[in-house]
Amino acid sequence: MRRTSIVVADPGPIFRAGVKHLLGRESDFEVFEAATLPALSQTLEEQQPDIALIDLELPPSGGVAAVAGLAPLYETRMIVWGFEASSEAVLAAVTAGSKGFLPKEISPAGLIRSLRGVVRGEAPLSRGLATLMIDAVHGLEERGRARERAVTLSTREREVLALVARGARNRQIAQALSISEFTVKRHMQNILHKLDLPSRRAAGLFYRSAFEPAGVFDMERTA
Amino acid sequence: MAAEPTFPLVAVVSSYPLLAEAVEGALEGIAEVRAFPAGQGDTADFLRLLQPAAVVVDSAEEAEAAAEFAREARATLVHVSLREDRLRLLHAGRWQNLSDGSASPERIRSAVAAGIYLRGVRT
Repeated sequence: MRRTSIVVADPGPIFRAGVKHLLGRESDFEVFEAATLPALSQTLEEQQPDIALIDLELPPSGGVAAVAGLAPLYETRMIVWGFEASSEAVLAAVTAGSKGFLPKEISPAGLIRSLRGVVRGEAPLSRGLATLMIDAVHGLEERGRARERAVTLSTREREVLALVARGARNRQIAQALSISEFTVKRHMQNILHKLDLPSRRAAGLFYRSAFEPAGVFDMERTA
Repeated sequence: MAAEPTFPLVAVVSSYPLLAEAVEGALEGIAEVRAFPAGQGDTADFLRLLQPAAVVVDSAEEAEAAAEFAREARATLVHVSLREDRLRLLHAGRWQNLSDGSASPERIRSAVAAGIYLRGVRT
């Protein structure tokens, strides 16, 4: 029987040891370890493992950057895992070339099942993370549409809108941008007209939907 | 037929089952490791029933709950902070940070093995 080879790329020795001990009981797995990106690269080059389980915070630049750099070079199926992730991090991992995303709270049986699934070509992604992914994709679409609308704004109007989104009053905006309050009001009128928005509050929400990252997603609730 | 050797019991109370896997691997031939899920709210009581020689936890909440039992039973208690990659040990009723190096299975083994040995000497 051909064994499935896995490299666990994680700066935490406990997680490396935990996976190694767990899979050591199974006859169909062979495990390598790497604590950093250079060590992972070396293992991929020398061992050509079937799967790489890569920590989201793998030194020096993180798991997403590691996958983006390595996935095009190797046939190894790469899976990112982590304590928690923003919706954008999960989406970025998959976009970079990760075949899925696993929470570190995963059960031993769940990890073995996921890894065997990867060998069969399945994408390991919990139900909660799959929902998050879909939300993130929809969010990207909405963000794209919002940014298209924002193209009509001038640079100064964008600056005013950014401050409005942070709750700044006209006087504060005027001081921050070294312009008069009257000019700020005029910019606000133009912004609302160009974006077809009813209020200052709506303009702030519009800015956040277009330009600010999504909040942190707690994976413990969905793993 | 030779009897199976009986090892001291080590309880791992954790939200991360892979921690128990790592501890089990590190204590192979030294202790019997049993894993329990964290966050059940009855840690001190069930440790009193289980009477382990040592306890490993991975959250501050479980560390405080397990400390009640550890002080009563003079058991070793190791708190592993996985996110911060740190270890601390409840020794003689007080927490000690084990600050040299990261939270490795080998360092957990050293702390637990020393605690079990000292507990045997005292009793």
